[in-house]
Amino acid sequence: MQGEMTNNSATVVIDHITKRFGDFTAVNDLSLAVHGGRIFGLIGPNGAGKTTTIRMIVNITAPDSGRITLFGQQITPELQDRIGYLPEERGLYKKMKVGDQLKFFAELKSVGAKEAEKRVDRWLERLKLTEWKGKKSNDLSKGMQQKIQFITAVIHEPDLLILDEPFSGLDPVNVELLKEIVLDLKSSGKTIIFSTHQMEVAEKICDDICLINRSRKVLEGSIREVKRGFGRNAVGLRLTGGEEVLTDQSLISTVARHSDGLEVLLAAGTSAQQLLSRLVSSGASIEKFEMIEPSLHDIFIQKVTEAV
Amino acid sequence: MRKLLAVIKREYVQRVRTKFFVIMTVLGPLMLVIFTIVPGLLFSIKVGGDTRIAIVDQTDGVRVYESIKRSLLRKDRGDENDTGVAGSLNANTTDRAAQVGKTSGGSFQVEQVNAAGRSLDDVRRELNDRIGRDELDGYLVLPPDILRNSESKTSYYGRNVGDVITRGQIEDRLNRAIRRERLVAQGVREQDIEDLSKQVDLVAYSVNEKGQEGAKDTGAGFVMVFVIAFLIYISVLMYGQVVLGAIVEEKETRIAEILFSSLRSSTLMVGKLIGVSLVALTQLGIWTLAFAMLSLYGIGMLASQGVNVGDVVIPQLPGSFFVYFFLFFVLGYFIYASIYVLIGSMVTTAQEGGQLAMPVVFLLVAGLYMAFPVIRAPNSSFAFWVSMLPFFAPITMIVRIVSQTPPLWQIVLSLAIGAGTVVLLLWLASRIYRVGMLMYGKRATIPEVMRWVRQS
Repeated sequence: MQGEMTNNSATVVIDHITKRFGDFTAVNDLSLAVHGGRIFGLIGPNGAGKTTTIRMIVNITAPDSGRITLFGQQITPELQDRIGYLPEERGLYKKMKVGDQLKFFAELKSVGAKEAEKRVDRWLERLKLTEWKGKKSNDLSKGMQQKIQFITAVIHEPDLLILDEPFSGLDPVNVELLKEIVLDLKSSGKTIIFSTHQMEVAEKICDDICLINRSRKVLEGSIREVKRGFGRNAVGLRLTGGEEVLTDQSLISTVARHSDGLEVLLAAGTSAQQLLSRLVSSGASIEKFEMIEPSLHDIFIQKVTEAV
Repeated sequence: MRKLLAVIKREYVQRVRTKFFVIMTVLGPLMLVIFTIVPGLLFSIKVGGDTRIAIVDQTDGVRVYESIKRSLLRKDRGDENDTGVAGSLNANTTDRAAQVGKTSGGSFQVEQVNAAGRSLDDVRRELNDRIGRDELDGYLVLPPDILRNSESKTSYYGRNVGDVITRGQIEDRLNRAIRRERLVAQGVREQDIEDLSKQVDLVAYSVNEKGQEGAKDTGAGFVMVFVIAFLIYISVLMYGQVVLGAIVEEKETRIAEILFSSLRSSTLMVGKLIGVSLVALTQLGIWTLAFAMLSLYGIGMLASQGVNVGDVVIPQLPGSFFVYFFLFFVLGYFIYASIYVLIGSMVTTAQEGGQLAMPVVFLLVAGLYMAFPVIRAPNSSFAFWVSMLPFFAPITMIVRIVSQTPPLWQIVLSLAIGAGTVVLLLWLASRIYRVGMLMYGKRATIPEVMRWVRQS
């Protein structure tokens, strides 16, 4: 845990960074701040520039212009020891024993050999992999390998943990197991950057999000703020009758029919209150009437398609 | 520094533990013997039975047939059919000749053709038919004036005239027989011919740069030089490929990204190169030790067991040789291994890497071939220049050092040029490695690679 870090101080500050590969601009004038002790979701479609941004944060590549500050300092290779990184493209040495492998990765992060040994045992136990310690990683299932890779990202107890699609390909039980660990780390004060294009996961786990699309930032803020700012008037309904109200274009712009009800979008200038009173007065029998918050998924789709 | 050590340790421990390493360490010397000696032996072995030869003797009174027959059927020490490397391994010349006689299978069945008044054309037609029916391998036609006219030509007709070794034997033995008969025709006594045409034994003694005479050279020194050249060649090639495999593995399994987020890519690259070089040196060290044990105790033990070791001499190598061997091996390894790093960073699979590495292998093979002229003239200007070229120096310079040690300044210059090349190649490789290791999907093109070098 970092003493100098209060809950609101920014762990990572990205200041107008740009990265080009030949003619292709991967990241364009991106600025953002990741606050300590929170989970920050870096979301966006494939090829938006997420991985490039992360690679610059962990000092694998350097931005062409702009500045990145970590823990209040200019980034240096030494700061890499305070970052844990689980890349999307990840792997293990096929023929190396799991225990040796984890020890090696811990040593690369400057953990002493004895301490590394202890931590390997502790993490293997926590992820229910103790009996696999002496096996070669080739003998492990894909899910197990992924948990081992997760351990490599956390074994040196980093202050900043960056997870790129950490749950892809895992079964629900293991997703829950890892999620629990991530939340534990957060509550012990670690900062987590979580990159994904699975909106359902991001919605459940992140405190703040930043949506990037086509190398630019599209949206930023806490999940609450983002959703509030996106308040589109959607109402979920289950009812019999009232058809003439539902087809009134001055009240409702679109109707989507699901198996267990309807989802309608209110026309501009109409409040949910007005719709409800019209339905009641039309004599419809209403089983369900609720305001629907836009999902991150909807926001994502809308923002990304808007850009096209 | 601690991270560098961690990388070196992993690379070393993981590789020394493999079955491949253990098998190579045990079988390596055996393979060395196979690769250096067996081709020579194979070339001298004639498979199949005796060569069946008919002789058409057109001289008056069929005077030379008997003599040629005796010469062909005899297995004597005058056999010029030396087997080169294989032959010189066995130091005892008399033994050698006997052995060559056996292994070269120089045995003939000889028959006389009775012309019985027929024309030469008729006789030849009949003999050609017999060759066609595989009753005969070939026949010699001796002109009538063979003993009188030194310009006359003898013809050989045979199925497999491409077998130059057998042809050479026939020519050689024929010559001896004709020579002898010509001398007899001039009235020289048979016994005198025997005594006067005895082979002269050439015994070689080496003289070093200080003018001191060395021990009798048995030809084993030559073999030693070749073995050393081959050892450098094969170790550099083998461990260069190991480096290629290691680089491609980290790229294929996508470990590179995790590694790069933990340490500098140049530290990782250098750590891998050093780790693998230590594996190679461990192996060479084990071989050297085994060789030393053999030369110190092995021969003596065999002798005490009553085995006739005869003149078998294990060539003595000065201590400085081992220092030079170490230096030039390390030089060769780092030159070629950094090229392999460069290639590994550009490709996506080991197969692709193998293809792209072909020119590198050719470069190494060229160095090995250049060792031959260098052994024959270690102080020529050719030898000087090829031992200054960094890609060939690891083989050619060590060959010069073993056969006729050049002045120290040349060795130092060669090492310095090599070291400079290594620094340059490492710099280049580290730039390509840094970018290439994170590029997945397709093989990089040369213009792309040039851009990486400029960018990083």
